[in-house]
Order: sequence, then C-alpha cells, then structure tokens
Amino acid sequence: MKLSKKIPLDFEIDKLTNSIENTSTDEVFDTVVVQLTLKDLSHIHKSEWQFDWAKEIKDKTKEVYKLTTINNPTIIQGLLSLEDKQDHIFMHLIESSKFNKGKDKVYLGVPGNLVAFACKISFDKGYQGFLAFDAKTALIKHYQETLHATHFRGLRMFIETTAALRLISQYFKS
Amino acid sequence: MGLIKEPKNVDFTVQSEPWTEEELKDFRKLMNEIKVKNAKKKLRSSTTKKRVSA
Repeated sequence: MKLSKKIPLDFEIDKLTNSIENTSTDEVFDTVVVQLTLKDLSHIHKSEWQFDWAKEIKDKTKEVYKLTTINNPTIIQGLLSLEDKQDHIFMHLIESSKFNKGKDKVYLGVPGNLVAFACKISFDKGYQGFLAFDAKTALIKHYQETLHATHFRGLRMFIETTAALRLISQYFKS
Repeated sequence: MGLIKEPKNVDFTVQSEPWTEEELKDFRKLMNEIKVKNAKKKLRSSTTKKRVSA
C-alpha cells in the first residue's frame, strides 16, 4: 500500500517492559519500547515496511518508537509515530513488522502494546491518558471492544482516561 | 489481565489523517467535559472514603 493513498485508519522508557506472545508456541517474551533517532534509520529497510518511517523520524513534530523484545533489541516488532498536541497525544501511525502481519504472524500483541505505551506517554505528559487516532472502518468495532476506544465521528476515535488506565495496567508491570 | 491479542486475520494498522480545526475544537470540548466528569467522580470517591474512615 502506498502512503499517498489516504487510508484511515526523556522519560524512563527502559523500565516500561511488557510482552508479546509467540503464535506457535504461546511463549511470552518481555518487550521494551525505545525512541528511534536518525541514527536508527539504517535498521529500517524501506522494502519491509508499508509506511515511510524515515519521513516520520525526520519530522520534528513527531516522535517515533520501536517495540523489540528485551533479548533481541535489534529486531523491530513494530513501530509507532506520535505527536504531542499539548493537551493530548495524536497517534499518526502504527505498524507491525512484516512477520507480525497476516494469518502467519509470529507474535500477537504488538499493536496493543504500542497503544498502551502511547497512553502511558499521555499520562506522563499530564494529558490524563487521552490519545486520538483514525481507524479503518472495519476496525472501529474491534478497537471499541479491545482497546475500549471511543468512536468520535467518521473514522476518528480516541482513548480516554479510564480506558487508558485499563490498557496500561494490562501491559505495564508496576 | 492478559494481552490484547488481535485475531490472526486482523492486522491492526493505524494511519491517521490530520484532524480539522473544527474536529479538534469539538474533540477538545468533549475531552474537557470528560476530564471534569472524571475529576468530580474522583472528588466524590475521596469524600466518600473520608466519611467511611471518620
């Protein structure tokens, strides 16, 4: 899918560990979310990603994060692009890595993990967990049921304080 | 509580378009209403707790 096609859809991050689950073995692996910088661009091969993550990293209004397992910090499981809107966090992009897509995906839980992280950032910045984003039409119900997201209008959705707290408690060890 | 596991046939991908000024204005209004409501709930809850412990 090309980016041009309009399809909706310094904190202590080292301590924010959570996990993803191997679809074949049901094994659970602890993960970590780390902010990406321009230096990390060499680890992101354009052909392996649907979105232009280099563009996101270069955009100074956005912050890009990667999810990896603790044991394999060089293998990116998913990417997240956020913008601080001063009173809430806006989630521009979320993408699971190529091997975490489709019916043969290797790990489950990558996107939920990243959304919970975005909510955590919203709390850390004093925005009470508010996170806004767009959803694909077919996924609105799914997000309402799994993320407890609220449908705002059209493809617009948001996560409010109670739902954000629920997500954080599901993913982040205290 | 367990992980939120997307179904195998579902790929959770978000690609947001910028929200219009009007959408942002309405969203901020709603967000503030929720924040006020939550603050009232919290206050009510803490008042109740104080009464119980008194």
